[in-house]
Amino acid sequence: MLEGHISKSFDGELAGLHIRVLEMGGLALDQVRAAARGYAEWDVVNAQHVIDREGILKTLGGRIYDDQLTLIALRNPVASDLRAIIALAKIAAELDRVGAEACKIARTVLQQSGRPGRGTSSDARHLANLATALLRLSLEALDQVDAELADQVIDRDRDLDAEYAAGLRRLLTRALENPAQVEVTVEAAFALKALERIGDHARNVSEHIAGMAAHVVRTTRTP
Amino acid sequence: MNESQQTFAAPSPPLGHHPDAGLNLRPAAGRGGPASRLDGASIGQTIGTVTVIDPVFSCRDVNVYYGAKQALKGVSLDVGKKQVLAMIGPSGCGKSTFLRCLNRMNDTIAGARVTGQILLDGQDIQDQSRDVVQLRARVGMVFQKPNPFPKSIYDNVAFGPRLHGLVRSRADLDELVCTSLQRAGLWDEVKDRLTQSGTGLSGGQQQRLCIARTIAVKPHVILMDEPCSALDPIATARIEDLIDELKESFAIAIVTHSMQQAARVSQRTAYFHLGSLVEVGETDRIFTNPRHRLTEDYITGRFG
Repeated sequence: MLEGHISKSFDGELAGLHIRVLEMGGLALDQVRAAARGYAEWDVVNAQHVIDREGILKTLGGRIYDDQLTLIALRNPVASDLRAIIALAKIAAELDRVGAEACKIARTVLQQSGRPGRGTSSDARHLANLATALLRLSLEALDQVDAELADQVIDRDRDLDAEYAAGLRRLLTRALENPAQVEVTVEAAFALKALERIGDHARNVSEHIAGMAAHVVRTTRTP
Repeated sequence: MNESQQTFAAPSPPLGHHPDAGLNLRPAAGRGGPASRLDGASIGQTIGTVTVIDPVFSCRDVNVYYGAKQALKGVSLDVGKKQVLAMIGPSGCGKSTFLRCLNRMNDTIAGARVTGQILLDGQDIQDQSRDVVQLRARVGMVFQKPNPFPKSIYDNVAFGPRLHGLVRSRADLDELVCTSLQRAGLWDEVKDRLTQSGTGLSGGQQQRLCIARTIAVKPHVILMDEPCSALDPIATARIEDLIDELKESFAIAIVTHSMQQAARVSQRTAYFHLGSLVEVGETDRIFTNPRHRLTEDYITGRFG
């Protein structure tokens, strides 16, 4: 969808931008997995790695911004090219937020205010699996610019939202039974919320992809 | 990298049509730094780096006069190898005049006088003892209106190599013609009709024929004076794609009225204004963050 211009260098520049956004997605996905693992195992080392790698994600985001500016200034893109470039810019912004949410999860581990109990930990692991799967699927949709895959992510995020609501309710119930654990509860709520937000960002990425793919001009019949 | 050190003895001409004429320097915040944009009416020094490492052309303090009128004012600029230099600016700014200095086409204009230093691979082309025909083989030119010879397609391309004695046999000439037409992206369209007249081709094909003709004599540099302004958008895109490929083998200097073309096709862009070189720099920087107010106004369409 991004290729086929007479100018091969324009094709190359657009492909380069697409690849760089995918790379940023891959990094963001790694961050989420590492943060989830760190949370599940209550591993400070893993959590610190996530914080340390945030800079790489930011740098890549900055590079993508510069590339987009250059593409728009030098190529004057129109129609589907323009929509694709803008969509990729918005997707990069969503991926940046995913990285930030992963850092929030890592920070709850580094805070060391108290390891969550088995129930919370299990809920967190379940949410993390859902969120990671959604993010991975949205990146696959981005790779193929596939509207159907994007729609699946949008649907499945509703399940993640429901699971989050249920998990939060269980957490609050446990908190009422253990008022002394309020700090642990608050931190755990932040972590669960961050996972829910990651699902939302994956859904947003997919909405942008669905938008890109939906605007492809399909009419070919000539009058 | 050094800033150009050229200064002007005479004050710059007043810019009667420039809305900000006479304002003091007003630094603007931007990604280029606190004082990165220079406003005001003066074009004192050229902004940006006029030199390149290992240039093919090195011009210093070039002035051109058509009779009493000075068309080019103390321009210093290098043309680099394996890259495209685009020259932009409003009508009458001197960009075509500068281009014509590079292959001494100004010699053909009565009353034209060129001063300053123009070095091609280190040698002054203004030296009157040098063979100007040889120069024009080393420095080829493609014009705005395609101008194939009224000869066959084959003879259009073969003419130059024959004249300069570049090939010894018919077989070598055939191969050179074929290769040139291939490199110009025209071979597939004309291989079965090489004996037909070059003037029978479409505009875009004629222009590619002219490019094939130019590269057949193995130039160092190709000058292009608005090569696509007579062509439709598809033909233009094909020629621009061709320029992308050709820059791997030749230094290219292109004058264009289309800023968008300059943005698409070049690696360096030079902005001319009323005979002076105002700013030069990497194309992506010029079009995202120009440093002279005049450059910014021109490329954003604020004056013309």
